[in-house]
Amino acid sequence: MKALTANRLTDGEVVFWKSGQWVTRFADAELWADDDPAAGEAEGQGKTQPTTVVDAYLIDLVESEGLWAPLSYRERIRALGPTNHLHHGKQAEGGAVIEALQHAHGAARSTGRVNLIKRK
Amino acid sequence: MPTLIELKDGVCRGVDDPFTHVADDQDMPAGDVIVSLARFQAEGEGLLAEGRRVGVRLQSHEEAEVLAYDLPRLSVVALEFPKYRDGRAYTNGYVLSGRLKFKGQVRAVGDVLREQAGFMARVGFDAFEPADDASANEWQAAIRRYRHVYQRSADGRAPAFAERES
Amino acid sequence: MYQYDVIDKEMLADRSAEFRGQVARRLSGELTEDQFKPLRLMNGLYLQLHAYMLRVAIPYGSLNPTQLRKLAWIGRTYDKGYGHFTTRTNLQFHWIKLADTPDILDHLAQVDMHAIQTSGNCIRNTTTDPYAGATAEEVDDPRVWAEAIRQWSTFHPEFSFLPRKFKIAITAAPKDRTAAKVHDIGLVLKRARDGSLGFEVIVGGGMGRTPYVGPTIKEFLPVNRLLSYLEAILRVYNRHGRRDNIYKARIKILVAALGKDEFARQVEAEWAKIGEAADLPDTELARIRGAFAAANFEVLPAQSEAFEAAKASNPAFARFVRNNLKPHKKAGYGIVEISLKGIGDTPGDATSEQMDVVADLAERYGQNDIRVTHEQNLVLPHVKLDDVPAVWAALSEAGIATPNINLVSDIIACPGLDYCALANARAIPVAQNIAAKFKDQDRAEKIGELKIKISGCINACGHHHVGHIGILGVDKKGEEFYQLTLGGSGAEDAAVGSMLGPALPYDKVADAVDTLVEVYLRERHDGERFLDTFRRTGVTPFKEAVYADAH
Repeated sequence: MKALTANRLTDGEVVFWKSGQWVTRFADAELWADDDPAAGEAEGQGKTQPTTVVDAYLIDLVESEGLWAPLSYRERIRALGPTNHLHHGKQAEGGAVIEALQHAHGAARSTGRVNLIKRK
Repeated sequence: MPTLIELKDGVCRGVDDPFTHVADDQDMPAGDVIVSLARFQAEGEGLLAEGRRVGVRLQSHEEAEVLAYDLPRLSVVALEFPKYRDGRAYTNGYVLSGRLKFKGQVRAVGDVLREQAGFMARVGFDAFEPADDASANEWQAAIRRYRHVYQRSADGRAPAFAERES
Repeated sequence: MYQYDVIDKEMLADRSAEFRGQVARRLSGELTEDQFKPLRLMNGLYLQLHAYMLRVAIPYGSLNPTQLRKLAWIGRTYDKGYGHFTTRTNLQFHWIKLADTPDILDHLAQVDMHAIQTSGNCIRNTTTDPYAGATAEEVDDPRVWAEAIRQWSTFHPEFSFLPRKFKIAITAAPKDRTAAKVHDIGLVLKRARDGSLGFEVIVGGGMGRTPYVGPTIKEFLPVNRLLSYLEAILRVYNRHGRRDNIYKARIKILVAALGKDEFARQVEAEWAKIGEAADLPDTELARIRGAFAAANFEVLPAQSEAFEAAKASNPAFARFVRNNLKPHKKAGYGIVEISLKGIGDTPGDATSEQMDVVADLAERYGQNDIRVTHEQNLVLPHVKLDDVPAVWAALSEAGIATPNINLVSDIIACPGLDYCALANARAIPVAQNIAAKFKDQDRAEKIGELKIKISGCINACGHHHVGHIGILGVDKKGEEFYQLTLGGSGAEDAAVGSMLGPALPYDKVADAVDTLVEVYLRERHDGERFLDTFRRTGVTPFKEAVYADAH
């Protein structure tokens, strides 16, 4: 599965794509099957919004506690907040998806991010 | 629309460029030309003998000192910024204006952005081919942005320590 | 302390106005992110994992209470009520909104602060000895030269687009608290036999992917020739430093490639062409020097009764004194180090409340003087011994009296993967795990000086190469692993640490450090620090112990 993420231009907030809008909670993100062409289409649209977001890219997901979580550790930290201040960032609100993210055990580089670096 | 901005007595003006940039593999047109260092070294004598004005375009790895003996014969030295963050041309500009006292035009070409205009003017550039479509007014505003400077450079502006003494 | 005059203030106002315009152009779409990025970086603004990060310059680590209170206020108003002190003695806020930054710069400018050149390929904040003006070890006050360099390097028209960032450190004491030998330029202020002052000039040290201890290229540069000599070094570097590969662009690579003798020859040749015209006039040097004139010290007895009594009656205070109070050049005074390494806390973080407390203490007891150390602590350089008990009590109440300066839990750590967009692994929780392991203060004191430094990637912001124990986070197929190095030092005995062995997983690092310490305690001779023992025994006993399980 995949999701589309970026940072919002005005405040740097981590955001996720949901049917044409950017939302701040990973729990609300739109998820696509790996072979769903809609993911690439959304990424293309995200990249044409330079006054809304910075650096839109797709991330890979892994199953955790029956829910989906970003596969790479970096992306889980982005979706949660820093591990040294558990009341800072998105993790502060708690809930099942946050817990699933905190317990997830995927291990991979952030692939979307690597592509982004290569393109530059 | 003019593509060249000239800085004279603190004022920026858009002007029509009388010079033609001539690539190494291009036939030599009539009139005033700016050529590469290699082409100048090969054909410079002939071009100057034809009575036209000649400028040399230095790439950022070429050092301005190589032109030391030719400077009195040159009308323009164009210094290339292959990317805005390649800062070697600032040193070339400083050497040309501050050290070798070149009297002709020192022109910025390449990835020339108005955000760098103030720095360029300080090290002695007095002509600019902006890559960002900045107007002469915008260019002038960028050059005048700072009321003070901290260090001496080729523009002769009084640094802070001199202002403090006066 | 140095006071900004109308010229300095107008420079900051102009800068702030310029950035306000650039931010507006970015938000309106006139500037693309690629065009805007270098502009925001020149103002210390990064886009990190969760938000923008704003790095505020603290020139040579020197603050007055008004400035520190303003930082506290900014932390409260625009961030989450805290700030993070860095190894460049700056302060960064981790939760900043782009749209707020022009206002923040205006607020900073009100107290003569800014974020100029805290990023970008330019000359960064010059650092110096946090004990400057207070320690008897120094031959002269290095802040005079740090301020001269601040002005000279600010918006330098020729050296703002160098091949890579450029960092200068100045120490005037033989005991080096600035890591001068691992800087692009390290300056060691010395006095010649005839009494004249000069700098030993060290060029091409550094960390990152290719760490070097810098060689000395000039043994004695007369102090009044400093700026022309720096100009010569920077000009040679600007022209010849590599620009084709970001990892080979620092000056250390150029110095190593040319050899220090050839590099020095090129600098001397350029310096001869520059001449004395590029140096600061003596009148300006005298003006700057006057601003750092000795503080108003009272004539006091060397011993303070109140101080001695508190030490005798309160073991916790006595422990604080043993570890955090350093000798002052004036009788009856001391240098108080404030540890920002509370056990379980984030190294270098201070809450807005803590900043306010330190500002109050500096005002009441510390001659309005506060310093930031490159080891991410704070210093009150001039405190009467009589007042140290009161200072300690207030610090204790604020949770920043941890008595661990230079001890095992006084760890440098970069923000790492918890915040930084470049990191491969976390650094902060590793530091927290180690500190927790050594929370027994008796044991920590028994271990003595031990510098642990942790970086979350090879860029080495956490100075791991020069840690007595260095820890580098690496990404192994998406998992956090940590490479340990031993025997590094950033001080006058500078050295790059050597690798212990294969990288360890996250949850094994604190145990491994514990094992290394046990080996040291077993092997050490009288008076040896961890570093001394390691240098005597070599890596073998340490390696055997840490990897024993693997055999």
